[in-house]
Amino acid sequence: MNLDESVKQEISDLIGSHDVVLFMKGDRSQPQCGFSATVVGILDAILPEYRTVDVLSAPHIRDGIKAFSSWPTIPQLYVRGEFLGGCDIVQEMYGTGELFEALGVERVEAVRPRIDLTPAALRALTAAAAEHGGAGRELHLSVDAQFQSHLSIAPRSRADVEAISEGLVLLLDPISAARADGISIDVSDTPNGQAFRVDNPNAPKVRQMSVRELSQRLGAGERIELLDVRTPEERAIAAIPGAVLLNESEAARIESLPRDTKLVLHCHHGGRSQQAAEQFVALGFSQVWNVVGGIDAWSQEIDPDVPRY
Amino acid sequence: MALQIINAGPNPADVSEQIRRAIAQALPAAAIEVRPGGPGHFEIEVTDAAFAGKPRVRQQQLVYGAIAHLMSGPNAPVHAVDRLDCRLP
Repeated sequence: MNLDESVKQEISDLIGSHDVVLFMKGDRSQPQCGFSATVVGILDAILPEYRTVDVLSAPHIRDGIKAFSSWPTIPQLYVRGEFLGGCDIVQEMYGTGELFEALGVERVEAVRPRIDLTPAALRALTAAAAEHGGAGRELHLSVDAQFQSHLSIAPRSRADVEAISEGLVLLLDPISAARADGISIDVSDTPNGQAFRVDNPNAPKVRQMSVRELSQRLGAGERIELLDVRTPEERAIAAIPGAVLLNESEAARIESLPRDTKLVLHCHHGGRSQQAAEQFVALGFSQVWNVVGGIDAWSQEIDPDVPRY
Repeated sequence: MALQIINAGPNPADVSEQIRRAIAQALPAAAIEVRPGGPGHFEIEVTDAAFAGKPRVRQQQLVYGAIAHLMSGPNAPVHAVDRLDCRLP
């Protein structure tokens, strides 16, 4: 395939712009595909700094890099000007430890996560492994970027980390392993049969913020997105200065922001905003607060000029 | 009148042959096996002495480079290579 000279030069310049350059879909804080997210997860775990190039915002680079590298897929990792590989290769090199050497950083051992199984979960998993496993197929647990857990039965990969709980072996890829430490697995009966219930203490949760703390943070000029989830009618009665109504277009804007953006949500008393906050956590936002007591607490404790209703 | 099927994908056997030919052009001495999987998906096995002494990623680049034209553009006949094995004879 012919590659335009100017595009070739542009790609060469990008590759030369940093020791470690990742061509990916989306950016570091918000990868737009699972393979890119996996590589970002690995690099984030071992490198303080690297450069990413979002090919979705530059279609000529997206096509060009494939021809440039003779590699048909994104992401692509370049280290000191050399093409290292795509997602599979980076994952494998991380598992074998070769990646640390390639990146010139000290090797960090993959954590062997501690996993708690209830007796019922142990029985169910053992039965599942016996029924569907065998012939090199083993139990896997993966934890995605939203901290949702997935159980599967698949062949062992060289990069897998073993977690042994109650004598049962669970295999995790290194990134999942780091996210899974301290996880507990139970089984419960649902109308559709038995279901695994996973409690992951590492999963981001909605945090609670008092109106006093909110007032201090706003006063200090901290960059937060303060969102009002009430109706426009309620907002006409009373509003916290600086809060923005969370309507459809505002929600779309927030969803396009980096996932480490600080989101603070309030409503009248703190119930609706808690629910909305949980939805943003489910979307992958890691710093989400609910304002305890809502605007009513604000009127009583911070600013009596904001009417109560 | 027979109904004409519009937008039917290319015949996987034809695409397999295109892949095989493209690789053979770049690696004339290679033994090449192409198996179609799901629509647009293929598994490729290439055995060639030219892979000697090259790390896996460089071996795969030789193959991917040869079939790049079949994988680029919105109407590419090859959407994905599910497995690419590069072996030494």
